[in-house]
Amino acid sequence: MVRFLIPSVAVLLFLLEPEFAMLSPIEIKGQIYYLVPRFLILYLIFISIYYSRQRAVMYGLFFGVLYDVFYIDIIGLYSVLFPLICFLAGSIVKIIHQHLVVTTTISVVLVAILEFILYQFFYLIDFTSIPLSDFLRSRLLPTIIANALFLMILGWAFKYLINARVLQRAREVS
Amino acid sequence: MPHFFFNKKLILLLVGMVFLVALISFSLRDRTNATLPEQIIKDTVGVAQSIVAKPANYIAGVFNNIDSLLNTYEENKRLKARLEEFAAVQAEATELKSDNKKLRELLDKSESLKEFNPIHATVIARNPDQWEEKIILDKGSSHGVEKNMAVMTAKGLVGKVTVVTPFTSEVELLYTSNPNYRVSAMVLGETEAYGLIEGFDKERNELIMKRIDSSLPVKKGQQVVSSGLGGIFPKNVPIGEITEVSTDDFGLTKMAYVKPSADFSILDYVVIAKRSTTVVDGSDGSATNEDLTHPPEASKEEEK
Repeated sequence: MVRFLIPSVAVLLFLLEPEFAMLSPIEIKGQIYYLVPRFLILYLIFISIYYSRQRAVMYGLFFGVLYDVFYIDIIGLYSVLFPLICFLAGSIVKIIHQHLVVTTTISVVLVAILEFILYQFFYLIDFTSIPLSDFLRSRLLPTIIANALFLMILGWAFKYLINARVLQRAREVS
Repeated sequence: MPHFFFNKKLILLLVGMVFLVALISFSLRDRTNATLPEQIIKDTVGVAQSIVAKPANYIAGVFNNIDSLLNTYEENKRLKARLEEFAAVQAEATELKSDNKKLRELLDKSESLKEFNPIHATVIARNPDQWEEKIILDKGSSHGVEKNMAVMTAKGLVGKVTVVTPFTSEVELLYTSNPNYRVSAMVLGETEAYGLIEGFDKERNELIMKRIDSSLPVKKGQQVVSSGLGGIFPKNVPIGEITEVSTDDFGLTKMAYVKPSADFSILDYVVIAKRSTTVVDGSDGSATNEDLTHPPEASKEEEK
């Protein structure tokens, strides 16, 4: 049961992201803020940290391809960035303590890096022309805040779920 | 460094990079349609997405209802004020309609650029990273949707269809920074002024209408609608209202800032307009330069 729960949560998050994206952009006092939901990659980072780096990279590749084909129409963007972020997360955690607060911080920082790379890419291919300062103010900051909130609410649930799977696996092995 | 070329991982990485760049440049090319594996993935994800979208749309609808309930009093006041005008306008409209019909019969001209068959569609997803302004609809080529068709809400034009698969279609919204995105539009007034909606001003959040003849009077507050001359869009779909008029970069033509009438922030149900009149390959079309002004009789029969 727990075995199938992990991929199905990933699928669910993948499908929920665009629904949350419809709430954005929001307008506060004439300023427009974009909130980009990055639930799936946050979850994959958690898998990478608490479960297995290799598994997370595989999920990252799979969902990255889906993301590219369905939403972006540029194949090879998310399908590289997702596994890369998962790989980074899995590598960082070998040096750092696995406390929930620490992993939450790392996840948010990694999402910020992802967002920044994407901005640079889209700037390069002329899909966007907003200057860096505007990007930081209207996109990066609100996105970080929104995703940090999401992780504060659901991070413990991810950890609980993944730990259950790890325990189950350990039992199977023994 | 003799070891450099024997490092397998490094070579694998380099090959991977080359492959990646090739893949990205392939998909960035101006492709006319999705490849078969892409279509399969799009349709499968689209079906799953539309299942999730239903409860999500419902919940969003509840919030909208609450929101509109809060504004009821003020809205009612405004509506009452306009109701008095309404009766007069309606009488005039019916009169004009019957007039128009009679005159058309007199001229023996039954086709109009205004007429279109609506295809109702639900928005199932919005591009989550929001770099390109795109929405995905649950109707595709099997429902009669074709590339470049106009997509609108009750309030006005929202965008046009860019990619079609059998069960989904992708819509590029009006406020895109894509320079190739153009909509043929006209300003309603005593003399109609024609121009092109080209581009979007990020700071003002308004559309830019260019190439308006400088001899024609264009004023602030005038309505802008689609002209139907692009070849695919129906005529008279509202686009917005002019907020400012200035001259073009070279001073030869006028340009105007247009505030879009459609609300882009909450899009859940839209209408895809399939024009009844023959579709011409124009500036809204794929520009293949085919002679479609005199279409073969066979295709005309099919449409009827």
